[in-house]
Amino acid sequence: MSNVIGIIRALNSGVKHLAVKRFTLRYPEQKLKFVGDGFQFNPETGVGIAGLRGRHILFHEHCTGCQLCSVACEGIAEAISMVKVHETWKHNKKAIMPQIDYGKCVFCGLCVDACPFYALYMTNDYELSSFTKSALIYTPAQLAIKPNISQDVEIKIDDRGASHG
Amino acid sequence: MTTQLPPGMHLETVDDKIMTLNVGPQHPGSGHMRLIIKVDGDYIVSCDPDPGYVHRGEEKMAEYRNYIQNIPHLERPVIHDSSNILYPYCLGVEELLGIEVPERAKYIRVIAAELNRCIYILYWLAIYGIFLGHSTMFMWPAGDRELFIDLLEAMSGARVTHAYLVPGGVRNDLPSNFEERCLRQVEYFEKRLKEYEAVFYQNPLLRARTEGSGILSRTDAIRLGTTGSVLRASGVDFDVRKKEPYDVYENLDFQTIVLKEGDSYARSRVPYLEMFESCRIIKDALKKMPKSGSVRTKLKPNPKGGNDEVYRRIESGRGAIGYYIVSNNRPEPYRVKISVGSFRNLICMPYLLKGEKLGNMPAVYWGLNYWPVEADR
Repeated sequence: MSNVIGIIRALNSGVKHLAVKRFTLRYPEQKLKFVGDGFQFNPETGVGIAGLRGRHILFHEHCTGCQLCSVACEGIAEAISMVKVHETWKHNKKAIMPQIDYGKCVFCGLCVDACPFYALYMTNDYELSSFTKSALIYTPAQLAIKPNISQDVEIKIDDRGASHG
Repeated sequence: MTTQLPPGMHLETVDDKIMTLNVGPQHPGSGHMRLIIKVDGDYIVSCDPDPGYVHRGEEKMAEYRNYIQNIPHLERPVIHDSSNILYPYCLGVEELLGIEVPERAKYIRVIAAELNRCIYILYWLAIYGIFLGHSTMFMWPAGDRELFIDLLEAMSGARVTHAYLVPGGVRNDLPSNFEERCLRQVEYFEKRLKEYEAVFYQNPLLRARTEGSGILSRTDAIRLGTTGSVLRASGVDFDVRKKEPYDVYENLDFQTIVLKEGDSYARSRVPYLEMFESCRIIKDALKKMPKSGSVRTKLKPNPKGGNDEVYRRIESGRGAIGYYIVSNNRPEPYRVKISVGSFRNLICMPYLLKGEKLGNMPAVYWGLNYWPVEADR
């Protein structure tokens, strides 16, 4: 008898959820909102600023071509290589800047921790898929572009359960 | 006629009634491992677990990278529990390099570790549910896991491989209004967790399958050197967080969950009850945490350890994880040895499966809280 009651109780707890809103995020239409504009790092205090670790953004006016990001990536993903750029900056005599291969990058963000000149941050852009491997290699010019993203959905919790908007 | 066999190999006599089955090495649940099972009809005669398919050489890799570069790859063995597997490494390196950790960072680490423990246990529970053919128990934990993933994403910036804990504290401070959001989601989750009781744990069909199967007695659990939930399900009160408290666990209010039965049901119930305790720890830590202050001690660019060695361990979702680190005046460690709970629990498998029905094999196997990728390292 107790078995029957147990089965009815188990069924009942499932049936109750028919009336509850779905928790699923409908991804391409809805996109989750993140904290801030991506992971950043303050080399003076040595502490980062919370944010999503997505694609990088490179500020050409700050980059000195010191290669510290590339050194930090050695032994982790080896995704960063320094390439020549056709730009003239007074602080970047060698005219080299990082180029990132997102086929290798693991998004650990240790390159951002390594940059002492506020030149390399990360952004909220995570949609990097492509049809070719070569399209995953982002040149310094591509990395300088600020991504255009719309992410606005948050988890809503009320008496009837949790849902995504 | 005698045949010359290579050393270490022997011929087996074939019994017509016994059949050998290979379970795996393609993902019996998660990660590659194989169970060589001999069955007599529906009953298991012997079981020989065969791990090693996902050996990645993490320990050797750690010898060629400096103390900071080791962080992203040392969390790879258990990406669902990445804060907990990094925790002892950070504690060990801090002791080697003589780094002081700020008080706020200690609380943030405990919160990250407990959130991660919940993520791991929910994933484990989802697989346990689907192993037993209970697809609701697969959907619910997999969905509720998102609550914690979103919290850790706000904290660290990554959904799964966080690389958040570092020697000297944590990578970044908590975002604004994190405390409020964390409290709201954890309180909702506690309410949700109570629903699992009726649909899964008090379900007579589950109890009929798992109660009394694969019993591990208290003496056997100690003799075989098990750890974590397997040990606590057999009635041994041992939790590293209580017995050797690290960081701020001694200030926090929680209990060790101990069950006496030692069967597959008890082993599946201990992690479930531990999630309630994890929620308690998170709420308590949020209350007691200093509201402002530094979260990371600044290190020298390439820190070097002296001629020293250190062993630190913590309690993870699968048992005690210990790191033995040796340094020799270089920026890289000389040796890193990782001792994980999964591998220590694997040895129970031949003892527990003997005489069981083949259909009960998944319940016993996954109840051991065994994660193949972590065991192989």
